[in-house]
Amino acid sequence: MSVMQNNSEKSKWFLPGILGGLATTMKHLLKNLFNQKKMMTLNYPEEKYEYSPRFKGNHVLTVKKDGSLRCTACMLCATNCPAECIKITAAEHNDPAVEKFPISYEIDILRCVFCGFCEEACPVDAIRLGPEWQTPGVNGANFIYDINHLAYRPNLKGGILTHVDDQERHKAGI
Amino acid sequence: MPKCTINGKEVEVKEGTSIIEAMQQSGDRIAHYCWHPGLSVAGVCRLCVVEIEGNPRVQIACNTMVTEGMKVNNTSEKVKDAVKWGLDFHLINHPLDCPICDQAGECGLQDQYMEYGKYDPEMAEAKVKKHKVVDLGPTVVLDSERCILCSRCVRFTEEVSKTNELGLFNRGDRTEIGTHDGMLLDNKYSLNTVDICPVGALTSKDFRFRQRVWYLKDGDSVCNGCSTGCNIKVYYNKEGLFRIKPVYNEQVNGHWMCDSGRNAYKFVNREARLVKGVVAGKEMAPGAAAKSASEVLKSTSGDALALVLTAQYTVEEYEAIIKTFVEEFKTKKVFFWVNNKETFDTFDGLLSRGDKNPNTKGLLKVMEKYGITSTWADLSAGLANGSIKTVVVAGPENQAVFPDYNERLKELSKAQNLIWMQAGKNDALTALTGNVWIIPMKTFVEKDGTFINFSGLEQKIKKVTNVVSEALTLTEATLLMVGKNLALPTANAAFMPNNQRDDQVTLEARKKNEFVFRRGSL
Repeated sequence: MSVMQNNSEKSKWFLPGILGGLATTMKHLLKNLFNQKKMMTLNYPEEKYEYSPRFKGNHVLTVKKDGSLRCTACMLCATNCPAECIKITAAEHNDPAVEKFPISYEIDILRCVFCGFCEEACPVDAIRLGPEWQTPGVNGANFIYDINHLAYRPNLKGGILTHVDDQERHKAGI
Repeated sequence: MPKCTINGKEVEVKEGTSIIEAMQQSGDRIAHYCWHPGLSVAGVCRLCVVEIEGNPRVQIACNTMVTEGMKVNNTSEKVKDAVKWGLDFHLINHPLDCPICDQAGECGLQDQYMEYGKYDPEMAEAKVKKHKVVDLGPTVVLDSERCILCSRCVRFTEEVSKTNELGLFNRGDRTEIGTHDGMLLDNKYSLNTVDICPVGALTSKDFRFRQRVWYLKDGDSVCNGCSTGCNIKVYYNKEGLFRIKPVYNEQVNGHWMCDSGRNAYKFVNREARLVKGVVAGKEMAPGAAAKSASEVLKSTSGDALALVLTAQYTVEEYEAIIKTFVEEFKTKKVFFWVNNKETFDTFDGLLSRGDKNPNTKGLLKVMEKYGITSTWADLSAGLANGSIKTVVVAGPENQAVFPDYNERLKELSKAQNLIWMQAGKNDALTALTGNVWIIPMKTFVEKDGTFINFSGLEQKIKKVTNVVSEALTLTEATLLMVGKNLALPTANAAFMPNNQRDDQVTLEARKKNEFVFRRGSL
């Protein structure tokens, strides 16, 4: 490695550089003082940045009108998942119109790469990647999200309703 | 022997062969649902259409016999168009519930649709809704919406099981499969209807929703449910075995197998298995348990030693253990534990036999080879008067077919030392106290070997998967019980380089290299 050195006389004058830097700082200070709304920074965590609606954050399992899970446990998301972080156990539902549903749906969020392939593979719009992106936690935190968390966590306020509706589809003869 | 031309290839077939069979013979692919090689021809799906030269209309291949000089093709635009529209009719009332359907992944309709499908349906009418989740009997669930009315299952109950439970009811697009009034689909071969259903209309209650088929691997084996020895495929993944399906073998089972044979996977799975060996109440690794049994066997004289065998192991294993007993331990007290003696020779006329052991013939053959003539009465007498002190038992894999299990266990536990080898868990066995060795065994899907079926046909089985990897085969357990070690067979110098230069540094010299020496292993 070669080291370049500037040994000219001019480089010995350091004061103009220091003053130039101070001037830049002062310029930003004054600008932010008199024009606070256009300030570039946020007071995290009181203020949070809102990403676009397409942002791929934590998973949400959608629900039907009656609040039950939309998922039919077809395992396409688990099959398509490149990180293999989804684990589903299917079971027979009492209602013959539903037939099959997941009794357990778990996502190992520490393995998840948020690629959105599960969302894309789902034929019934049962899983979506939501807007939440802050999932801090220490060692003891639960990083394996279960059905209860995915579909009914408090932020979702009773669950997110899917636009695909079985009864409407049946009426349309699909 | 008529000759015909199929898609430009000349094929010679037997007299009375249909075009579809000739196409299978020539290796050409053809769309079909209702045709099944083991059933009669129905010709209801109209998908196996072909164009025959000189015939203006397309014909179905399953019900047209090959004649001399016939020129057939199914690759023309006309045929493709016909199949495409035929498929569209099949899909008129078929629901799109592949996410729920258990057949997804191995469904005939999915496959055909990918190949010939008309991707834009032109039906304006709504689908006819039929019954969903119909309970047909103890083993099968029907979804009549998914049914495409190929009538394979109906023909199966008419022609093969001859029980006639199923029928087609109503007319037109309201036709449904169902059971006759007051009947249930309840026969010993009912699950074959699930196998031959080309769509997901009939699903097995046992397998339903438990696993998606694309997560399963399969391997060929031979059923150990009875002495027929049906050829099977076992479907498994890392969680264990999930189902068994028959494989076509004309000599043995044709296309079918019985329902009780399909349950054979249950006693193989880990939750039903012995995992740890037990020596006098202390848990041990299986190999260590067998090794500790070698001490008591060595100290027992030949006359006081008996071996009890069930006919559920392979010929190679019998050979190993009987040879050891006759030659090393100098005893000919080898006994055949016959379960359900009364029904041993019964046969239901199709596949299932009263002898519920896969290898009775094999055991008898090996016993004959070593001139063993002892009967169970000798053993009972020996146990009663105390002349037999140590008993080695190769217990059953499938305990369900041993109704006399507890009785025999009680009788054999009279012996001073009892060495019991078995694959499955059993409460009565683990409750035994005193000098008891329990050694976990491998099951038929975990080892190589030979089964000889009722007719004397030798069938080789290959290892499919490992469920309890630490369990032993009878051969391995025998080696350990003699006091030898299990050695891996290694080919000598198989991987030594053969293109070395004369001045090549050899391994011995390299070890002495100062640089490597100082740094430790690289």
